[in-house]
This record gives sequence, structure tokens and C-alpha cells, in this order.
Amino acid sequence: MSFLGGRSNANTGSVNYDKIDMAVTELDTVTDFFNRMVSSCYNKCIGAKYPADGDLNKGESVCIDKCVAKYNDVQKKVGEKLQSRGAAAPAQNQSAFGSL
Amino acid sequence: MDFSSFNSAEQAHMTKIIEKKQMQDFLKLYANITEKCFITCCNDFTSKALSSKEESCVANCAEKFIKHSERVGARFAEANADQAGGSQ
Repeated sequence: MSFLGGRSNANTGSVNYDKIDMAVTELDTVTDFFNRMVSSCYNKCIGAKYPADGDLNKGESVCIDKCVAKYNDVQKKVGEKLQSRGAAAPAQNQSAFGSL
Repeated sequence: MDFSSFNSAEQAHMTKIIEKKQMQDFLKLYANITEKCFITCCNDFTSKALSSKEESCVANCAEKFIKHSERVGARFAEANADQAGGSQ
């Protein structure tokens, strides 16, 4: 249909901002989760001890692998717990902002 | 995260947002490493300047943290891939 040749705007379609919002929220959630995991596993496995050199030794490497696995597990368990509580008791007094 | 249902305008929008977040994330990482390595390495305040011991400590600490972050990222990606593969 474009007899002018080429397209003046490479972006076709309109932007659904609700979809974008949800995607951004998910992105923020995952980024936050990852950053907390990095921080927590650093504190547990490496901590504030004086670094001998710039590499991870074997103990630290193994610790990190296990730490990541456990952190993921904890997240899953907490999610299940929150879901089961949410299903059992509908949110009556849960919100800090009160209700309308 | 599944962006396949996004049209090209939305994908372009998301790409800009992601680029901005990546830059902010990098700046946060910078501040984080600075704080952690300061706490680990700098405990003697009889002098204003960093001693060579403190300097090498900071260099090692920063490198170690970056390697740690990379390793966590690799394990995290593996776990995500496993989960995505398992649920499909």
C-alpha cells in the first residue's frame, strides 16, 4: 500500500500502556530479586573478610552455587505460603492503606 | 519474560526502558561495590591517603565481587531456563 517507498515510521501499531506497565513491573521484580540474591549470597559466602586475591576460591564458588539454589527455593516456599494465606483469609485488614 | 506478544512499537518502547534500567543498575552496582569494598578494606584512619595494602585490597575486592555477581547471574539464568523448560 505504501507507494512512497520505505516507511517514515518504523514502529507500527499503537502502544498498549497497561501491557507495558505489567512488563516493567515484572522486569523490576526480577531485577530486585537478582540484586538481593547477589547481596545476600555475597554476605553469606564471601563476607567482609580480607580478599587474598581477585578470584573466587573453590569454597566460595561452591557456596555461591548452593546459595543461589537455596535462595530460589526460599522464594518459591514464601510464594506458596503467601498464596495459601491469601486464599484462606481474604484481605480484610491486610492493606496498610485501608480500604475505600 | 515473554515479549513475543508485543508489537514493534511496544518492543521499541520496552527496549528504551530496558536500556535506561540497565544504566541505572550499573550505577547501583558501582555504588554497592564501593561501599562493600570500603567496609572490607579501609579500617585504618590514621592517614588520609589509601595505603598500597588498602589499594590492592580494594582491587581484589572489586574483582571478586564482579566475579561473584557473574557467577550468581549464570546460576540464576540456568535455574530460570530449567524452570521455563520444565513448565512447558
